[in-house]
Amino acid sequence: MSADARGWRIALVPDTLINQPKATGEAPPDVLRVLELSGYGVLQLPPPGQHSLLLAVIADQVAEYAHHGYAVVAIGVHGQSVDGLHWRRLAPLLRHRGVALPPRHLIRRDLDAAAEMQRLATFLTGYDLPMEEQHHWRV
Amino acid sequence: MTTSEHIDAGKERSTEQNVPRKVALIANCLLNQNAKVCQGAHYAGPVSPVVDALRSRGYQLLQLPCPELAFAGVRRWWAVYEQYDTPAYRAHCRRLAQAIAPLIERHIRGGDEVILIGLDGSPSTGVRFTSSQPDWGGRPNRPEDDWQIVPRPGIWIEELEAELARRGLPRVPATGWALDMGRFDETGARRDLEEFLDARARAAGADPAPP
Repeated sequence: MSADARGWRIALVPDTLINQPKATGEAPPDVLRVLELSGYGVLQLPPPGQHSLLLAVIADQVAEYAHHGYAVVAIGVHGQSVDGLHWRRLAPLLRHRGVALPPRHLIRRDLDAAAEMQRLATFLTGYDLPMEEQHHWRV
Repeated sequence: MTTSEHIDAGKERSTEQNVPRKVALIANCLLNQNAKVCQGAHYAGPVSPVVDALRSRGYQLLQLPCPELAFAGVRRWWAVYEQYDTPAYRAHCRRLAQAIAPLIERHIRGGDEVILIGLDGSPSTGVRFTSSQPDWGGRPNRPEDDWQIVPRPGIWIEELEAELARRGLPRVPATGWALDMGRFDETGARRDLEEFLDARARAAGADPAPP
């Protein structure tokens, strides 16, 4: 076993940002790479559809993290009818588990991909729990 | 509800989605090492060699839930297969399997190539190997390396495969990233995974080399 390498930060990420649709033009923004470089773990949300049990399972996991010193954020897609986060169903599941809704960052696919990834990196780097909570929980 | 109705219950596939895809079911901790037990993580977030190997070969990723995190929490002790082999834990794993199986079923019925990448050595997510020590229990002060690696799947993989079989689905080709085998060898694990992926590509008549 190694020294503890956990990053203590986690992002909820829509399927569409992990498995990006094939673009005809320039390469789509590589959200997964930015998350990795920023030290965030990923909780993948399912594609659009009915996933009641799976969303409840994901909410259970988010609650466990949020209650034990992990910083949790959500990354969505701006301008879609849904941002890929299943927010209307996920938000009540999180509230029911006593979890404050994580801060959301929305990716804009209509803007320059490199600039959007820089904006995402800035958001990710700048977010964490207050220092006293980090000291309380993290080894 | 029939199988086809069940499959069709989700959103209709677009034209692009109708093209058969390559889909890798991956253990939760391969995208999120925060799911690992304390001192079990080797990366801050995603396990980049696994992600890179899969994406460079055109696989989409479908993350499985982490059964241990949702059952025993982030502060759980290390454990072996025998400690998790309880009716309650197996019922929990079956619930998780029922949550993710509809997505997997949709891919398989839709003609996608589906593979599974677990975590060899894990009591839950091991594919080829799991950790075993029938004597473990009580105060958690066992000496280092006081467990065995045995050739069998972990509890979660057993229950997931059973759920897929209940749905009449074929067995998913699977391997494990050897993170929990005692002493982690990233180079060897990477070579092992790439051989598995490239062998599949060769069998399908495709160029195994990543673009």
